[in-house]
Amino acid sequence: MSLQLVVNVVVLAAIYALVGVGYVVVYRASRVLNLAHGELMMVGAYLLVGTASLFAGSPVVAVLVAALCGLVMGVIVYVALMRWMTGQTVLAAVLVTIALGILLRGLVVLGFTAQQFYPAAMLGWRNQSIEVASGARISAASAMLLAVTVVVYGALFLFLRFTRLGIQLRATGQNALLAAQRGIGLNAVYAFAWGLSTFTASIAGMLLALDSGAEGQMATIGLKAFPAALVGGLDSFVGAIVGSIIVAMAEIAAIQYVNPLLSDVVPFLVLLVVLAVRPWGLFGSREQLDRV
Amino acid sequence: MSIRIALGLAVAAAGIAAQVVAAQAADPYVVGVTAAMTGPAASTQAPVIEMLKVYVDRVNARGGIDGHPIKLIVEDDQAEPSKAAANGTKLIRQDGAIMLINSSLSSTYGPNVAEAKRANVPIWFAGAVCPKEAAPPADRLEYCSTGFDFSYDIPAGINYIKDVAQGTPKVALVGMPIPISRIGIDNAEKQAQSLGMTVVDKEFIAPPTADYTPFATKLIADKPDWGFSYGTWVIEIKAFEAMRRLGWTGSYLTYGHIQAEDELARVKDDKLTVFSANALFKDDLPIHHEIRDAATAAKISYPYTQGSEGWLTGMALESILQRTGWPVTTDKLVAAMESLNLDTKGLRGGPLVWTKDNHFRTRQYYRFYRWNSAANGIERVKDWIAVDVKPAS
Repeated sequence: MSLQLVVNVVVLAAIYALVGVGYVVVYRASRVLNLAHGELMMVGAYLLVGTASLFAGSPVVAVLVAALCGLVMGVIVYVALMRWMTGQTVLAAVLVTIALGILLRGLVVLGFTAQQFYPAAMLGWRNQSIEVASGARISAASAMLLAVTVVVYGALFLFLRFTRLGIQLRATGQNALLAAQRGIGLNAVYAFAWGLSTFTASIAGMLLALDSGAEGQMATIGLKAFPAALVGGLDSFVGAIVGSIIVAMAEIAAIQYVNPLLSDVVPFLVLLVVLAVRPWGLFGSREQLDRV
Repeated sequence: MSIRIALGLAVAAAGIAAQVVAAQAADPYVVGVTAAMTGPAASTQAPVIEMLKVYVDRVNARGGIDGHPIKLIVEDDQAEPSKAAANGTKLIRQDGAIMLINSSLSSTYGPNVAEAKRANVPIWFAGAVCPKEAAPPADRLEYCSTGFDFSYDIPAGINYIKDVAQGTPKVALVGMPIPISRIGIDNAEKQAQSLGMTVVDKEFIAPPTADYTPFATKLIADKPDWGFSYGTWVIEIKAFEAMRRLGWTGSYLTYGHIQAEDELARVKDDKLTVFSANALFKDDLPIHHEIRDAATAAKISYPYTQGSEGWLTGMALESILQRTGWPVTTDKLVAAMESLNLDTKGLRGGPLVWTKDNHFRTRQYYRFYRWNSAANGIERVKDWIAVDVKPAS
């Protein structure tokens, strides 16, 4: 395997891991499978398109404002939609996320039309190619995505382990009723989880848009990250990383050695195999999944 | 008394006649459009129909066709066959469309063609893939004005590479898994090999993909001198940019879809060449000014540089309806369509001509453009080449 293939696997795994972490955050906190996650990622990319036109001379400001909007968008989704699903079946909440995804796709077309946007060009930023080793290259946007993925997972680890809110989030995920009885504000924790999930999805969308543009079909990429999260186990951050690496390796191998047309179905083939052997995922919690 | 009655009757008759004439004059030419205004194909199809609407609005503002406005009813099919089928039925049966315009993916054609034939209504493909039934020997009811067509685009592109490249170049081919692109790229492979070129790789990429680099890695592995792609613009350009980011320095030729002009200016790569059936706005023709001004006044949501295909459709529609006259019958409409000889005013290399047996065009034209860094603008690298359209053998 050439060094470039290793780089390709690492980049693709980072994409899936960064998108997939949002699935895990929401699922861990509330047991809800957010099937609008890909669309929220796509909206994140379009948020950057919007801020890029507003702050064309200040790329950092544009990215920060867009990321903040992504965080707020997640909180709004919870407050306006998901909060009303409290006490309802998980299936009802999942159906709401499907409807949300359709709505977001429509809103993006209404607001931005169907044309392709390139926020990097709008910000006057050139996506340079970086040589990481002899013969192996990575784009600047992909390198940033890789770095952001490492930072996000590192920060999440520290946050969940050492901060009060992080511990509350874990406690809520383990037993919501008991957590509430101990004085944890469930609505605040859930709202934070949705905000965090959408924040990371938005960042992923922005970085993908910086690399190759924003378009209305980006949501499908979010759907491809879903098998990666499931393979690892939906309530495990470590699982999300491992699942992403496995799916990325399988996908790159299919492109390189079998048939590139298989690249779309390979993540789901891997998922089927893992679900057949270990339905709760490689690092997922068996009892948690049984409750679903 | 009898004179009064006679006068009264005459006045009443004149009034009724005037009302009938007024009603007839106000009766519109109803044209039904089913198009991918949203969904995966919208970036290529929606600008065509948006510009067509602008053109039709201008015709109506001038009083329509001999006093009859054109009523363009646009239904979004999202490139889904089931929605296109429902749209076609509604437009023909309910709205009474005299013709159906389809600007969507080829998967929507089947139900639309079937409905059009059941109702004996012409169907016109505009800005979308031309069906083989429009080419000679053409089906009586199927027409196509779209600039691109793989049967002619692929030979034109490969021949250009052969002409420009030194010796026998190594070529990498890029397509996507849809019939027009797959057949086109397979044909490109055969033609390139027949001309002595070496095809080092052929990739079909399904959009959207999270990262184009894995495909680009394979494409450049054997160091091709040229890349050639034929698919949607997104695939064409993203594959190229991914190849560049891996350090590939070769030349790249691709079909210039409606987004090409703005994209050449964005990418700014001297070795990226596009060939197109429509003249780019860089050519600065009077009709380009007309399109730009109309698009600006109408505040269309897509760049005016994507407007040529829709504008040309509007020009052809106006010409057809003028020669059809009123009242419309299918026979009169078909006769007008089969005798279309449209002066494209430079938007294409020559007139758009349909005949009884050829509902595609009698000649296909291409111009080649690339970015010129020294001039900081797009330059034309090859003027119109013409290809005669002949019946399929």
